[in-house]
Amino acid sequence: MSKKNPNSGDQNNSKNEENALWSIVGYLLSGLVIWGGIGWGVDNWLDTSYFVLVGLLLGAGASIYLVWLRFGRD
Amino acid sequence: MGVYLASEDGFKPPSTADFNLPPVFGDNPFTTKPVFLAFFSVILISVFFILSARKAAIVPSKFQFAGESIYSFVRNDLARDVIGHEFMRFVPYLFTLFTFILTNNLFGIIPFLQFPTMSRVSFPYVLALFTFVIFHYVAIKHKGLIAYLKEIMFMPGVPKPVYILLTPIEIATYFLVRPLTLSLRLFANMFAGHLLLLVFILGGEHLLQGVIGLKLVSPFAFAFGIALTFFEFMVQCLQAYIFTLLTALYIAGALADEH
Repeated sequence: MSKKNPNSGDQNNSKNEENALWSIVGYLLSGLVIWGGIGWGVDNWLDTSYFVLVGLLLGAGASIYLVWLRFGRD
Repeated sequence: MGVYLASEDGFKPPSTADFNLPPVFGDNPFTTKPVFLAFFSVILISVFFILSARKAAIVPSKFQFAGESIYSFVRNDLARDVIGHEFMRFVPYLFTLFTFILTNNLFGIIPFLQFPTMSRVSFPYVLALFTFVIFHYVAIKHKGLIAYLKEIMFMPGVPKPVYILLTPIEIATYFLVRPLTLSLRLFANMFAGHLLLLVFILGGEHLLQGVIGLKLVSPFAFAFGIALTFFEFMVQCLQAYIFTLLTALYIAGALADEH
């Protein structure tokens, strides 16, 4: 958590940072869970064992891209 | 450590079983300690704020000052700074949320009560459900259902095929991860904190009954337990703050026209 400042502008900034922090955690988490889950489902369906890895990597990549889209480009 | 001590006269390390308190009246599952604590907190909060507001004066008493600082903290620092000009509509909810969570968390370190209500997962679940319903409702009312769903699912400025990758993640974030992380963060912090205190304080008490060598170590366990109690106090306030802050941020996101 960032330090609190009596200056209200800074405080707003720290809240935005906090928002970004938790959103990023959420995106990374759901990227892994959703695409990893889809990969796992495909594995179960086709009796393979590598789609879960593909899904996890895809999910991680996609969620990092999403984080960049939302917070990186300005 | 647990196994080592257990060989003597059966030290039972604290476990999840310590959170399953028996019903107070017969076998009615709605009369457990956390339920009473939740009701007690509501009474406590109501009495405190009614009393602090009743004799409102220009020159406030200490009591009134305490009540007003909590209120203005939630109103100004959480609601107004985060939500913006429409904040007044949400102050009652945010204020209720903050005081309810804070009081119930603090029950974890108040002597004789000593149980954080939020370490039973259903309480945070219900609170997160309220927040979930509110921020989606506000967004749908503000933007319209179709526009809102479109905003969630289709981030602008992305080549079309990439949506196949991104849309499931966005949907999961808004409808699954947000309420789950909101409730589990609060639950896990309260649960782990209470367990930690149990380990050190029950452990210290058990060491006291051991041989002389163990008796000498026992004060350190107690001292650590007391230090952790102060640490817990900090965590409890912080978690109440985070829960309310994130709720305000979600509402602000629902009211914002673009990201």
